[in-house]
Amino acid sequence: MIILETRGLKYTYPDGTAAIQDLNIEIKKGKKVAFVGQNGSGKSTLFLLLNGTLKPAEGEVLFHGVPIKYNSKSLREIRKSVGIVFQNSDDQIFAPTVYQDVAFGPANLGYSKERVDTCVQQSLEQVGLSRLKDKPPHHLSGGQKKRVAIAGIMAMEPEVIILDEPLSNLDPVGADEIMDLLNEFNQFGSTIIISTHDVDLAYRWSDYVFLLSNSKIIGQGTPTDVFKDPELLKKTGLRQPTTLEIYHEIERRGLASGGNSPKTIPELVNTLKPIDLIWVDVPPGLREGDSLNLGIMYGQYATQSPYEAVNATVLHIHQNGRAIVELKRKGIKAGGVMIYDTDNYSLPEVKQILKEGEIVFVGAMGKKSKTLAEHDGIRLDVSSGVIDKTILTALCGKRCLILTAGGMVDHALKRIKEYVETSGIEFTVGVVNREEGCKWLEETGDSPEKLKV
Amino acid sequence: MTNILDDYALMSPLRHRNNWLKLAIVLFGLLAGVSATSPIPPIFIAFCMSLTTVTLGKAPLKLYFKLLLAPLGFAIAGVLIIAFFSGSGPELLSFEFLGYPLSVRTDGFELAMLVFARSISGMCCLYFLAMTTPMIELFAVLKASGLPESLIELSMLIYRYIFVFLDMALCIRYAQTVRLGYSNFRRSINSIGMLASTLFIRSWEQGDKLFLAMNSRCYDGKMTLFEVHRPVKVTELLLTSAYFLSTLALFYFTKNISIV
Repeated sequence: MIILETRGLKYTYPDGTAAIQDLNIEIKKGKKVAFVGQNGSGKSTLFLLLNGTLKPAEGEVLFHGVPIKYNSKSLREIRKSVGIVFQNSDDQIFAPTVYQDVAFGPANLGYSKERVDTCVQQSLEQVGLSRLKDKPPHHLSGGQKKRVAIAGIMAMEPEVIILDEPLSNLDPVGADEIMDLLNEFNQFGSTIIISTHDVDLAYRWSDYVFLLSNSKIIGQGTPTDVFKDPELLKKTGLRQPTTLEIYHEIERRGLASGGNSPKTIPELVNTLKPIDLIWVDVPPGLREGDSLNLGIMYGQYATQSPYEAVNATVLHIHQNGRAIVELKRKGIKAGGVMIYDTDNYSLPEVKQILKEGEIVFVGAMGKKSKTLAEHDGIRLDVSSGVIDKTILTALCGKRCLILTAGGMVDHALKRIKEYVETSGIEFTVGVVNREEGCKWLEETGDSPEKLKV
Repeated sequence: MTNILDDYALMSPLRHRNNWLKLAIVLFGLLAGVSATSPIPPIFIAFCMSLTTVTLGKAPLKLYFKLLLAPLGFAIAGVLIIAFFSGSGPELLSFEFLGYPLSVRTDGFELAMLVFARSISGMCCLYFLAMTTPMIELFAVLKASGLPESLIELSMLIYRYIFVFLDMALCIRYAQTVRLGYSNFRRSINSIGMLASTLFIRSWEQGDKLFLAMNSRCYDGKMTLFEVHRPVKVTELLLTSAYFLSTLALFYFTKNISIV
């Protein structure tokens, strides 16, 4: 379903320079959309057009298929439904305290005092700033200000959230928290639109990308399609995403399988095609090209998981019964990822899982879970880029636990399952404290020999 | 973080108490201090208020004395003049200074002590308010006192943007300093001028952005002020009444006492 659409949109600045020229875009509901372009390519202007703040010179903006009218009543509607978070938080936060700023939007919508209060508490909780509600904005850090700005928009419960350069001026951890937050909102059904010139972010995060250059759309599509085309990127003045660039380099050297577009480091690692050759003693009568079952390897011989069933293809037979073989490994007791929903949190349960599940790697996503872990002294191995790092660790045969809550549980589960499906590398993944129960706790008793090779 | 008085008030634990109670305490202190006829009640008020500000309000002791030092200087200068040049009655102290006879008389001394005590008690009361009640708590008080809404909205916005512009001004000044903008008097004047003009233009732009920000959140001409409801607790009430009663009692008993 298309939620926002523009037809022949045109906007000119008062001084006569064109900011947007003949723009036709369609944005689908529930998607994560990124507008990528250099500074001054018209992203910010487009956003102000999308929520009716600016009036186009020509063309129209359609919301749910209905053209925006520029009278005060329909503008109110559209501004309630399409919230904008500005690039500079200081431009957006104008009330003397955090609470009053977040309450500004809901109060303007004419809600009752109680409802305003619930809205504010809820959105402050979501961004993890309930503690700071009586602080004045000048006592907050950049990341906190950004979260206040987002909470101010969230409190109005918009269908579409537009963020202009959401990660500018944020440190990596702060940036990661904002992206976690956006993913969570998206999981709850909000459509998220961001502008950025960070190609890595757009490539990794978004479902759909628009390339903007000189106030025109010059390319659009899924990130995989858009960033494949170096010519197009050159026209926009952007470079390829780093993961993609590395991938192309190793692919050219024959070290990775071709035709992929890895977005994350685990996906990149997964395309690697190392040639695994060793010398082995072979029984007589074997010929080149035959395959040879080498049984189960473990310890230093198992490189990808604790136990591996290894088959080999004989490449070259030497004298005195030795041959060079290429190994084909299959992990039979890979690691796993458990997701723990901190909405139903109990410390003893987590401790038991950590102990019995032989978990060596713990990560937390979302402010709430991080605070919980910190409070209860659960040592976190990772608190940013959690999903990627957990997959990488699980691939090394380790067992990981992710503490998270709300919509991010499903988000994490989906991401990891997708990885398992596309890569074909199996490891267990599941949510511990939900109805399905904990699969791998039962599995730990199995010896590797019992597993089918 | 800039260290201004408001920051200390924001961090004070007394910030989260009932504003009206604090105002009542301050008003009572001011009135009682000024109308006292003996220096003892004002001294008592000053002592109580300072103690509350420093112990309950957690104001740094060093800062508090530093703040008191400025009005204290003025008070002492005034008091000396009163002591030497007014009053009648028996002489307490007299000497010659460069050929002029100078003397302190009983009446003059009494008056000087009273003026000194009153000004100190007044200062301590006001400092109590300043160090425990940040501006953001006072908006609700201003609203309740019947000031026009638009004035309060304006003051809320102004309060917020004071800090934005303060930051901006500090950044500009830093940028000027590192490029030797303040290396001599002429250049300093020039730099200050540039800073002021840039700030003016920036604040103009900020006004535009502010309007945009408010509009995109459905601004319809009024900004609602959300008050935090803070009922007066029993212990607070007891402490306050004990303080009021003891001051009044002291006031009554020291009515006709002269200290000399």
